[in-house]
Amino acid sequence: MTTFWPIALITFKEGIRNRAIYGITLVALLLFGATVLVATMVPREVGKVAVDMALSTISFAGLLVVLFVGINLMAKDLDKRTIYTVLSRPISRSQYIVGKYFGMIMLITVTMGILSFLAISAIVMLKTIHGSFFTRFSWQTIILADCLTVLMLIVLSAISFLFASFTSSSFITLILTIITYIIGQSLSGVKALLEAPSYEIGFTVSPVTVNMVNAAYYLFPNLSLFDIKLQAAHALPVSSSFIIWTILYGFIYIVLSITLAALIFRKKEFP
Amino acid sequence: MITINGISKEFKEGITGKCVKALENLELEIKQGEVFGFLGPNGAGKSTAIKILMNLIFSSSGTAQIGGKDVRDPQARRIVGYLPENPYFYDYLTADELLWFGGRTAGMGSNSIRERSDLLIKQVNLEGARKRQLRTYSKGMVQRAGLAMALIHDPEVVILDEPMSGLDPIGRKMVGDMLVELKGQGKTVFFSSHILNDIERFSDRAGIIIGGKLKRVDTLQNLLSEGKDLEEVFMREVALAEGGTAA
Repeated sequence: MTTFWPIALITFKEGIRNRAIYGITLVALLLFGATVLVATMVPREVGKVAVDMALSTISFAGLLVVLFVGINLMAKDLDKRTIYTVLSRPISRSQYIVGKYFGMIMLITVTMGILSFLAISAIVMLKTIHGSFFTRFSWQTIILADCLTVLMLIVLSAISFLFASFTSSSFITLILTIITYIIGQSLSGVKALLEAPSYEIGFTVSPVTVNMVNAAYYLFPNLSLFDIKLQAAHALPVSSSFIIWTILYGFIYIVLSITLAALIFRKKEFP
Repeated sequence: MITINGISKEFKEGITGKCVKALENLELEIKQGEVFGFLGPNGAGKSTAIKILMNLIFSSSGTAQIGGKDVRDPQARRIVGYLPENPYFYDYLTADELLWFGGRTAGMGSNSIRERSDLLIKQVNLEGARKRQLRTYSKGMVQRAGLAMALIHDPEVVILDEPMSGLDPIGRKMVGDMLVELKGQGKTVFFSSHILNDIERFSDRAGIIIGGKLKRVDTLQNLLSEGKDLEEVFMREVALAEGGTAA
């Protein structure tokens, strides 16, 4: 704890003071403003549009935090050789990775907390003005969708740590993380499409493509699992078993990614 | 206090993976309380040796210990303060926070950190800037903040990689005064430099490394007895290493 906590804390401070955070918050503020404007243009659907847009804004802004602040927090240590200062202290490389990752979790949680507050404020404002159009509405599902988005970002961050442990530049880490995000968000849809009977989809898929998609499905995280914006917008019920399995899935992915990152990092040299 | 047993280091270069020897069978023993100057031209292997001591890179063969502990053990660094060459720290942290981090990771309590920070910040002349973020610091100020961080936990062994590089005359004097003070406190200091005057002024013993090979290790007194100054001795060693003859 004596070595782990200071790393987490300076990582958090370095991240939260980054000017990019202010920029991302400003973009989010503008998008929440747009949510209010757009939602009022469709009076009958105002509740659904407000929830969907507010949650999408949180997700988008959170993604920017992970990609443009989070990755830098780890990769800049390597690019700028700040790591010399950290690893010259009596700490192991595994402690460094875990400390850094907990700092990142703190950063994601705090920024997402602020963004969620803004999103909820926008929804509350619209609900107060257009209360009669919020017939199918559930705060519980909205909060749940928000929490799962936070978990998805924490999983994505763990994967970015894994990439940073073996790549030589922050740019490569960024590209690999973006690719993982895109694949992770679309993979289950692609798999479902390929598994559908050929007469339904109108074409035949080669076995090689099916095998490749299957391999990618088990290799990449299924990030669409964490996306329940649709259920939140329509106040649809979400089963508790789904929630538990999704949380467990995310947790396993985090542990595997960080463990692997720590193992790779133990062998890494910093010439 | 610092023991280096036959350390060699090879780097693979380029896509062909061609091996380049950065260090060859380095043998060195630095005793407690000694100020040892590691002298060599650019690319001689000084920083490579220091990075192996700090476990930032791994030796291809041989071992090294600090205070009897293998350098691969993180606990070996508990008694070590290290200042890298051209240090770079976290942009958005202040000097106070940097020292807090250094103290905490070394297991110090809050009060001890505060006391040592006050002392060191004064010594490195950063009193007016201690609450400012490091991204606003000049190169010399960053170097001084790094020196304060290296010394925050009052280490037994101080390893400095080109500590005078990038400093103005005032900064150089300040680092020089600190080296003298560390020597007075009985600390073991291992510092690298390619500035002959620095080695001559502060070292008890010096090692001359050229092309990854340690050519000479001796007391300053003995080295200086071989020529009119250290420059002459050093240039002779360089000439010999390059296959020439000693002047």
